[in-house]
Amino acid sequence: MKRRCRAVGEWLRRRTGCDRVWETLFARHIPEAEGPTAWLYTLGSATLFIFVVQAVTGALLAMNYVPSPDHAYDSVRFINEKVLCGSFIHGLHHFGASFMVVLVVLHMLRVYFMGAYKYPREGTWMVGVVLLLVVIGFGFTGYLLPWDQKAYWATMVGTNIAGQTPFVGPLVSKILKGGGEMGASTLTRFYALHVLVLPAVVLLLIGIHLFLVVWHGISEPPERARRRGEGNPLG
Amino acid sequence: MADWHQDYERRYKELKQKGKSFFPYAVFKDCLVAFLLFGLLAFLAWKLGAHLESLADPTDTSYNPRPEWYFLFLFQALKAFPGSLESVAAVVLPGAVFAALFFLPLFDRGHKRHPLDRPFLTGLGVLAIAGVTALTVEGYRSPLVNPVVEKNPEVVEGARLYRQLNCAYCHKIRGKGGVVGPQLDRVVGAESPEWLERHFRDPSAVTPHSAMPRLGLLDDEIKALTAYLKSIANEPFTQEAPKLFAENCAVCHKIRGQGGEVGPDLSTIGSARDKSFIVRYIEDPAKTNPKSGMPAFRGQLTDLQIEDLARYLSSLGR
Ligand code: HEC
Ligand code: HEC
Ligand code: HEM
Ligand code: HEM
Repeated sequence: MKRRCRAVGEWLRRRTGCDRVWETLFARHIPEAEGPTAWLYTLGSATLFIFVVQAVTGALLAMNYVPSPDHAYDSVRFINEKVLCGSFIHGLHHFGASFMVVLVVLHMLRVYFMGAYKYPREGTWMVGVVLLLVVIGFGFTGYLLPWDQKAYWATMVGTNIAGQTPFVGPLVSKILKGGGEMGASTLTRFYALHVLVLPAVVLLLIGIHLFLVVWHGISEPPERARRRGEGNPLG
Repeated sequence: MADWHQDYERRYKELKQKGKSFFPYAVFKDCLVAFLLFGLLAFLAWKLGAHLESLADPTDTSYNPRPEWYFLFLFQALKAFPGSLESVAAVVLPGAVFAALFFLPLFDRGHKRHPLDRPFLTGLGVLAIAGVTALTVEGYRSPLVNPVVEKNPEVVEGARLYRQLNCAYCHKIRGKGGVVGPQLDRVVGAESPEWLERHFRDPSAVTPHSAMPRLGLLDDEIKALTAYLKSIANEPFTQEAPKLFAENCAVCHKIRGQGGEVGPDLSTIGSARDKSFIVRYIEDPAKTNPKSGMPAFRGQLTDLQIEDLARYLSSLGR
């Protein structure tokens, strides 16, 4: 039995190189961080985790949600009242959205204050800023979906604000709303953005982001410049 | 400039060799944090759930939207930029902030990483956090952004039926809808609920040769529609109301150019506030707006007078 297991393991190793993947992703060494600082490095993975929660609960919601003004509200009510665990899943997605925004901002602040965006991690940071925009996009498009009063009117205000951009504003607002007025095409557009376009974009960006994080290695906790490397002319 | 790059790489390699393995040390922390977060998330989802407000009503322009809380600071900031400057606050400033964030690593290229070694950027970061927090708290506290409009469930159901039965095909409410029938918000105020109920059962029994179809509504539906129409109607006010306003309120408020400057101009108040809000505001402003500078009129005016005034004001600007 044991031998057979090993044979299967060997087979997999040969075809997938999973041992090498394990080595580069998990068995890699990282600079040591001490005390509370070490916990600040968990914010990125916490963001990733909540994103996974959003993706799973979002997919479950999408099974019962209907993106049309006539049915959206009733379908969300149906989710809340009739679907097994529906209100729990909706609740997870609802609060998960807030968690996600909070965590992504905290993660950015830790990178900002630690100066972890400096050489060689500039690209990681820039991808991160786009990720922040995408997360905000998720929040904005998701807010409309329940099609209740706050959804409708907050989005009305939001698209009107977008419409005030100098020069391109009216066009942007028209594209978002799918016409001059908010209605069925606004809802389907936001829905497509929220469950098709943005997830694809965010997966791509997270992929690049994490690749860069592993490629450069996680930054070491910053030290005061004075103490850094005696005899260093720059230190 | 570029010298410290190689220096850094050498040093980083050293630190990495001295460091620990990512698995299990860092992974353990990551998992623990994820676990605790999920616990908190599940607790909130289970205890509080995600609430739905009433169905979106595109005709209800009195609704005061409150954005998701993480956009509140932006809304609050908008208030500081009146009129045409609004686009600066709404689009240009956030755009500039994102551009600055994006290009930050290209500007800040020195080797110093410790927050205390970068007092300017650290200070800027702390200021930004303080500013956003203050604006969010202010936005949350400021009740004029979002008077809690409690709605009677019958009214909500009526609004839903009105939409579902396509009444707007023939009727206008607040300027939206068809022209076959009368503008409901203008005319319904004059009718009694009993009249409305009889009319719904059979329009031509009340108005001979009515062009409005008999809809075969259930009793509950008729009640709901009546409640809804009553709630949107301009209820009739007496001749006293403008006089009451001139005597009690015009010291501070303007209507159509007449009156004082202390409080806001109320010429279009009806398009922004509903009657129940105005009643509550006249009775005791501090309940709705803790920082209010307006005196309470409960006790000064009778309930009937306040109702009359509120009807008058909510008809303005519709
Ligand atoms: C085919 C067009 C049509 C449709 C659809 C229609 N109405 Fe009417 N409605 C009329 C006409 C015409 C009148 C004026 C004659 C009358 O009073 O019956 C009227 C009158 C009314 C009145 C009385 C107004 C007054 O005070 O004199 C009310 C209330 C009313 N409609 C409500 C509704 C509601 C609610 C619906 C949707 C369930 C609806 N109507 C659907 C055509 C329509
Ligand atoms: C001493 C001056 C003063 C008097 C008298 C006064 N108000 Fe006001 N009122 C204000 C001020 C100032 C505000 C602005 C918000 C605040 O401080 O409450 C206000 C706000 C309001 C608002 C809310 C406007 C909004 O959009 O939120 C209403 C409604 C209102 N007043 C109605 C009345 C009525 C009706 C009367 C007469 C019975 C009256 N006020 C008398 C000073 C006054
Ligand atoms: C969906 C959003 C995001 C996810 C899932 C994510 C995930 C991660 C993870 C798992 C790490 C590993 C180290 C850590 O946890 O701190 C990391 C590092 C990093 N992130 Fe993000 N991140 C996101 C958004 C952002 C944003 C908004 C920024 C900045 C604007 C950013 C900038 C960085 C940088 C510069 C690093 C490298 C830090 C270092 O090496 O110390 N990320 N990210
Ligand atoms: C960063 C990730 C995400 C954020 C911040 C986010 C945010 C939101 C928000 C704020 C809502 C409104 C829910 C409410 O409060 O009632 C919502 C609804 C919804 N989301 Fe997401 N979402 C994310 C990811 C996803 C994903 C990946 C999917 C699916 C593939 C998804 C599917 C849905 C669906 C179907 C709804 C409508 C049902 C409802 O209103 O509850 N979401 N989302």
